[in-house]
Amino acid sequence: MTAIQLAPEHKTGLTLSNPVMPAAGCFGLGLEYDRLVEVEALGAVVVGPITAAPRQGAAPPRVLAVPGGVLLHTGLANPGIAAVMRRYSRTWVRCTVPVIAHVAGTSPDEAVSCCQRLSGIEAIAGIELGLPDIPISLNPIGPKSGLSDFLDDVVTIIQAARVAASQPLIVRLPMAYADALCEAAVESGANALTIIAPPRGTAWHKPSEQFITGGLHGPLVLPLALRALRRVAERVPVPLIGCGGIHSAEDGRAFLRAGAVAIQIGGAIWHDPACLACIARRLSPQVGPD
Amino acid sequence: MVQTDALITGVEESSPFVRVTLAVPDLRPALAPGRFVLADLGGYLRTPLFPASLETPGPGDGEFDVLVPPSHPGAALQPGARVDLIGSLGRGFEVPDVTRRLLLVASIAHLPVLLPLTNQKPGLSTALLLSASTAAELYPVQMLPPALEVHVVTADGSAGHRGATLDLFPDLVRWADCACIAADPAIYPALAEIVRESRMGPAHRFAQALVAPPMVCGVGACQGCAVPVAGGTKLACTDGPVFDLLELR
Repeated sequence: MTAIQLAPEHKTGLTLSNPVMPAAGCFGLGLEYDRLVEVEALGAVVVGPITAAPRQGAAPPRVLAVPGGVLLHTGLANPGIAAVMRRYSRTWVRCTVPVIAHVAGTSPDEAVSCCQRLSGIEAIAGIELGLPDIPISLNPIGPKSGLSDFLDDVVTIIQAARVAASQPLIVRLPMAYADALCEAAVESGANALTIIAPPRGTAWHKPSEQFITGGLHGPLVLPLALRALRRVAERVPVPLIGCGGIHSAEDGRAFLRAGAVAIQIGGAIWHDPACLACIARRLSPQVGPD
Repeated sequence: MVQTDALITGVEESSPFVRVTLAVPDLRPALAPGRFVLADLGGYLRTPLFPASLETPGPGDGEFDVLVPPSHPGAALQPGARVDLIGSLGRGFEVPDVTRRLLLVASIAHLPVLLPLTNQKPGLSTALLLSASTAAELYPVQMLPPALEVHVVTADGSAGHRGATLDLFPDLVRWADCACIAADPAIYPALAEIVRESRMGPAHRFAQALVAPPMVCGVGACQGCAVPVAGGTKLACTDGPVFDLLELR
């Protein structure tokens, strides 16, 4: 069987038997889907996002259907790293495939706090670091744009997580700066990159008469993610995990052809939980290319 | 909880709704009033379906009905079609065995969720407070169990009491020892205030109310269906969609 190595440069490595895993934010913190998804068919599961302190998350409404998918704004709702470990550690131990914890790296302190708590936890095979998107208030154009300072801050978060985490570190880059930051992320110690985090979108929520800004999920994301992945694949030598709009084995194959060694499936799980194991079987290294 | 195929065994008009009958042997043991399934009806988001009838299953049985508006995607289903379902999900209405006087409060759009609770049980008196804009919207009272005490409220006075649910709720809630509510959540704060004023130390879940925002995953994984409650938020898909009225914010 051909194993997939996500962290060849790391002392423990992160070996998957299958390239398919759920995306962070879509699968819960433990095994919420264990009665609907054949977990043992997957390469890994990604749980989280997890923050240092508990977060109630965004005020409702959080969900809005948009053409081609759904816009979801949760505000990183989760009970915080201490409660997460208390409630879910045993579940992670029971999991038959590697568990990757997704840490929300909103600041260096947050990243360090979470990574230190997870460090040395045997049931956590790897840490995926989520990063802040470009603030809407930041003007990205011009010499005094502030973008450079923002990206410097993001690099600091990655560096802090790298120092604090003992496990392999996967950095999930937002589409907005995947290009600009992929090399710096690798130089800062990322063992692998996830390309991309759900792109941000805004839509008008008519019942509450307000705009909702959140992550976009659905088939509409796939071309954006695939383009970002191809550009990053030309520039960095580390393993890449493709993520965004994957709803079929054929979608997944496109990401593997574009340079990914593994893929994450997001919103498709909500629509059809059974698709996760189906795609995993069709993309199994034992099956080979169609 | 399973992901399974349902066979559509019947579709018929039941004005102002369309009655769709689904045969799903796998689901039946876990379905209950206020619990739901998520159905793949063609959109990217699955559609929650609440059982409107839960007959006693017989051999080879496993059917339940849903009542949907004619504009609902479920109304376009044809007998013989198959629909992918995830269920049963959520925490439904819980009527304690000791209940003797059950009050059901529904707007016409939400009435189907409460219909399974209109089934008569020995020793249980049930009253329904049903609201609509006008008589033409109402569900035919003759379709309801004869022993059910029905109080109709219409905004234009074309049937029953002219006014709003809040006009009749105080007297009825004093009579009841359990209340199950499915209506526009906008009226829930006012209903909660009436419960606090008219009941001394109401028991936990004395008044239970349905809150069903869009539910994306149904299992608590996506955090999309947050409902504000005292001290934070809960998820409609796993903590609800039926909540203690007094904890809602």
